[in-house]
Amino acid sequence: MTSRDRDEAKEALRKFTRRQLMELDTCAHCALCTEKCPTYAESQVPNYAPGVRSSKTVRLYNKQFDLRARLLGSRPITEEDVADLADSAFNCTLCGRCMETCPFGFQTHELWVRVREVIRDLGGTPSKVLMLEEMLEESQNPYGLEPDMRLDWADYTDLEEIPEKDQADIAYFVGCTTAFKGANHEVAFAIASILNKLKENWTLLGEDEWCCGSPLLLAGDEHGVKKFAEHNVEALKSRGVKTVITGCAGCFRVFKWEYPKLLGYKPDFEVVHAVEFLRDKLASGELNPDPAKERVGYHDPCELARLGGVIDAPREALKYLASDYVELPESGMDVRCCGGGGLLQAVNNDLRMAIVNRRLGQARELGVEILTSGCPSCKLAFADGVRESDIEIEVLDVMELAARQLGLL
Amino acid sequence: MNGIITPLYAFFVEKLPYVTIFVFLIGTALRLNRWLSAPKDPHGGRLDLVAGLKYIILDVVFFRKTFKTDKMTWLTLFLFHVGAGGILFGHMRGFKLWTAEMFSPLGPWLAEFMVHTLPVYIGWMFIATQVILLIRRGVLERQQLQSLPNDYVALLLLLITTILGQGMRIFPPEAIPTETYSVVFIPRLIVLHLEKVPSFHWFFLHILFTQLFVMYIPFSKLVHIVSGVITPAFYGSRRKEYDL
Ligand code: SF4
Ligand code: SF4
Repeated sequence: MTSRDRDEAKEALRKFTRRQLMELDTCAHCALCTEKCPTYAESQVPNYAPGVRSSKTVRLYNKQFDLRARLLGSRPITEEDVADLADSAFNCTLCGRCMETCPFGFQTHELWVRVREVIRDLGGTPSKVLMLEEMLEESQNPYGLEPDMRLDWADYTDLEEIPEKDQADIAYFVGCTTAFKGANHEVAFAIASILNKLKENWTLLGEDEWCCGSPLLLAGDEHGVKKFAEHNVEALKSRGVKTVITGCAGCFRVFKWEYPKLLGYKPDFEVVHAVEFLRDKLASGELNPDPAKERVGYHDPCELARLGGVIDAPREALKYLASDYVELPESGMDVRCCGGGGLLQAVNNDLRMAIVNRRLGQARELGVEILTSGCPSCKLAFADGVRESDIEIEVLDVMELAARQLGLL
Repeated sequence: MNGIITPLYAFFVEKLPYVTIFVFLIGTALRLNRWLSAPKDPHGGRLDLVAGLKYIILDVVFFRKTFKTDKMTWLTLFLFHVGAGGILFGHMRGFKLWTAEMFSPLGPWLAEFMVHTLPVYIGWMFIATQVILLIRRGVLERQQLQSLPNDYVALLLLLITTILGQGMRIFPPEAIPTETYSVVFIPRLIVLHLEKVPSFHWFFLHILFTQLFVMYIPFSKLVHIVSGVITPAFYGSRRKEYDL
């Protein structure tokens, strides 16, 4: 390790904030978070356990900054060290369940994102994650598709009114996973149809919509995401938008909680998840659906519930949409991740599928016929799980169920 | 006191406390410097006192999350911390922060139980919970956790200290003077008042290991005695911010 390498390693490790360093030093390596961690639970790989990640991170930090390093000089951080930590950090869905289990309440979502950031600076980011970043840079979406394909969902679903206005009260921010993934096109159609039915003054951003930046944040590239935040906020501001609605839990979390931090100010519009909007319209009587007869369950997307603060709204909406609603085990703040988050699909899809199947099994045990969620990544994960197994459950977004019960879909 | 006892007394009681305080303070300064030289959270992380306090009570005092996760570990951890608190409280009597008379209103039997009998049971319970935690760590090692050396050192130091303390209680004292016996660690600052003169061997080793333990606090995960109250306060503040 040259002195330049050493300086770079120091620089990278200095990214841990005071609170995060305190968390790392406080971790008792008690493993109370381990069994609840979906990636550990399905793989039994010790390296994926959150407490092991914490030990390894602190060891790396100490190589440069502990008393011995101060007195006798720092010890080298090897490529193997970085690869080992990357293996741990990227086999994580960033679901934040370890935060809910940790007796010390460590804010692990932010902590593990920071670990990814440090790994990035140390050159250890997995190549598939780097590819995502390149595609985002080139085409402003993580799938590398042409930006003019953003509205293809409207053609495929025969949506009649496709507003792209200069000025509107509401903007529907579709999100890349909804816009570009066929399995989610009907989610976009459902939200657009409901907005049309309500005769809202709303608009799409069309090609002006860029990825919210969530994949970059999850990859540990906080710096790169700022450009996306600035662009999207500007596109919304220029249209005089007062409310941004999104059906994606990831977009919602990033818009609501990350943009103000990244930009240093709170943009002048309200950020609402589609299920919150739906709940309000159902409660006010503006929408009157026929409740579904099938047994309906709801899976909380981690980024919407535990990490986003929206837990009651979808349940309140489902009271109007389903006559036989059942609560899944391990839900709300303690929700068991579906496996669809944290870029796990790019790094270890087999593990993602194992996590999906566990959650689907829980729904099956309750006799759930329609499994709903409020996130296109959860829907994709469940749809993949159902396709690969013999589980007969229909997977729908809450908004799709609403549109169906309103006779719009 | 004679033979080896005199020099031991001179070292463990009269000299070592200064070293202990010095090492503890240096260690605390180093730890604070380590934390404070890290960048502040650029995105705030504001502390909400009410929400912070709520989650300190729920998660630090009652171990709410551990209760939800694993009942056996919750029981062990809860009793371990009750034991730690009880023993700390008991020691305060030796430093005259409270007196046995405090329990007099409870009646002679209950007062005697609180002051002399209960501490022995708490000592056993404290030892038992530490042994369970040590075994748990050993069993889960490399499967679910990867301890740092200090995880074991801290627990072993505490276990040895507690066993020695309990030994003082259960082995017969060498003499029972009618007057209270005082051990002056630091004149007018740290003076221990004993009802009985304990077995010197247990006593000296106990005060040696207690001081090693205190010296080790800032260098180990034992910092959670303080930081483990701060982090749940931030967690509570976050929940408030997210309206959860
Ligand atoms: S965030 Fe989720 S997947 Fe990642 S370590 Fe924590 S519990 Fe496991
Ligand atoms: S529960 Fe908290 S303290 Fe225990 S190992 Fe997990 S992160 Fe560390």
